[in-house]
Amino acid sequence: MLVSFFSSFSSGAAAAVRAGDEIAELLWQNGPVVMQSQRSVKKSEPSGCDGYQLSAIQSQTQHQHQHQHQHQQQQQQQQQQQQQEREQEQQQQHLFMQEDEMASWLHYPLNDASFVADFCSDLLYPPPCANVNVAATAARASPVVAELRQQPPPKPPTPMAPPRRFENFGHFSRLNRPRVDESGPSNSSRAGNESTVVDSSGTPAVGPRSRVSEALHCDVSRGTVDGGAAALATSSADGGGREMGTCELTVTSSPGASSACAEPLPPRKSSSTPPPPAEDRKRKGIEIDPDADPDADECHSEDVELESADTKKPARGSTSSKRSRAAEVHNLSERRRRDRINEKMKALQELIPHCNKSDKASMLDEAIEYLKSLQMQVQMMSMGCGVVPMMFPGVHQYVPHMGMGIGMAMGMDMGMNRPILPFPNILSGSALPTPAAGAHLGPRFPMPTFHMPHVRAPDPSRISPTIQSNPLLSSLALQSQNQARVPNFIDPYQQYFGLRHMQLPLQQNQTPSGSSKPSTSKVGENLEKPPSG
Amino acid sequence: MSSRRSRQSSSSRISDDQITDLVSKLRQHLPEIRDRRRSDKVPASKVLQETCNHIKNLHQEVDNLSERLSQLLSTIDPDSPEAAIIRSLI
Repeated sequence: MLVSFFSSFSSGAAAAVRAGDEIAELLWQNGPVVMQSQRSVKKSEPSGCDGYQLSAIQSQTQHQHQHQHQHQQQQQQQQQQQQQEREQEQQQQHLFMQEDEMASWLHYPLNDASFVADFCSDLLYPPPCANVNVAATAARASPVVAELRQQPPPKPPTPMAPPRRFENFGHFSRLNRPRVDESGPSNSSRAGNESTVVDSSGTPAVGPRSRVSEALHCDVSRGTVDGGAAALATSSADGGGREMGTCELTVTSSPGASSACAEPLPPRKSSSTPPPPAEDRKRKGIEIDPDADPDADECHSEDVELESADTKKPARGSTSSKRSRAAEVHNLSERRRRDRINEKMKALQELIPHCNKSDKASMLDEAIEYLKSLQMQVQMMSMGCGVVPMMFPGVHQYVPHMGMGIGMAMGMDMGMNRPILPFPNILSGSALPTPAAGAHLGPRFPMPTFHMPHVRAPDPSRISPTIQSNPLLSSLALQSQNQARVPNFIDPYQQYFGLRHMQLPLQQNQTPSGSSKPSTSKVGENLEKPPSG
Repeated sequence: MSSRRSRQSSSSRISDDQITDLVSKLRQHLPEIRDRRRSDKVPASKVLQETCNHIKNLHQEVDNLSERLSQLLSTIDPDSPEAAIIRSLI
């Protein structure tokens, strides 16, 4: 009955093939579910059949003959295992399916040597994707691992041995090419294909994959997982044709994230392939940094650390290589630090308006100045909020704030873009008790009143209504009054501007009416000079 | 030295000391990290990050204050001197 079962499979596979690749994808999605459930020993015969059909479709899509040949082999093997329980048979079916898949898309990498060099870097570059990929692959690989375990003992150790040999991705990619080529055609057995895949994927994936393998509770499967991941990465690395189709099919098996990761793989791979193999694992984190988010950067750095930690110790026995590794690590960390600083500098440059400096030092200078001016501006504006209530007579408690703000405004950089420029004019007006020179000084009249109340309470109550009604008239009226108040007026200023009180007393000697204008400018200059000097 | 440094980062044609100096100067203006005990160990990236944050905060404050000032301006007599002051601030 098993034979009939298989024959139904084959017929179903054929039907599915005719149906189209979409079905294959749909079935494929069932496949990994089934395979994952295999570990939990679930009986899902229909889905298993679907998966099996999918594998048949896949192979047919890519490599029809091989798959059919292997399919027949699987059938024979399955027939041999009739005595076992149904679950085990299903497991093996899925195992065979996996082998088919792996073998089918393994052959492409074998035929096309360019993948081999690529999938090592592919493995590393998208760690978040890689994890998903690995998980997906691991799901498929676990049954394969089970099969591996059934095989003679030397098999499991074998995957571990090659990883030690290939510490560098580039190395193993170059070295693996002949190995893969040899083992590929020569291996007609499923285990052989897997071991080939394991060997080829070997070391590079050991580090990051170790986490996944642990998650899968398959230490032996580490190599297999790597192989699966490597094969997957390889097939995904390949930009075109059937391999991509296979990769897509296999990728859809995973929760879908890996398919998203498959796309970024090719572009990044191409850029990352040239770098020296010794730095590949670490470089992946570095190269991804400018492109990826900070989150991805952290994931990458974690992977790099894990991987380098894992591969360094078992791989390097000589001290010189360890030292060079340490130096490389140092350089890489230094580079990463610099990259971060450059990133922040760019962000800062965007914040600063009219910053066209390419030089870091000048840019930082501008940043400092801008920061200072911004702080000053905020202070002034917060004080300006206190100005409004001053229209009421008797509200002279705001005067100190006003005075201080004015003093600081005078002292600050006049080059500020925004509201500061007009302010000095008003401030200079305020410094003078009576801008009697002309109506243009009118708006500044109230300014002195703000200061005066600080000294004498009754003054603002007397002056402010007058000013508000008729600035010109009040200015004239104030002249005589202000003459007497000049000393008082000056005092608050001296209070606030420690440096400037030296110049202010000079104003007392001048006649407010006659020298209002020059003194205004003079006061302004005096107030401005010390800060700028 | 410049050639050696340019190899690492082509954009920096100045020495690291200059950067450190500027960073320390910048640090003086950042209240967040001004009082750190290990003021010499604050990484430059952190200082730059703090600067960016501070500038953003100041921008927000300026916007808030501008809004408030304009609101105040609407409440008072536009011809008053206070209005002139406020207008100068906005």
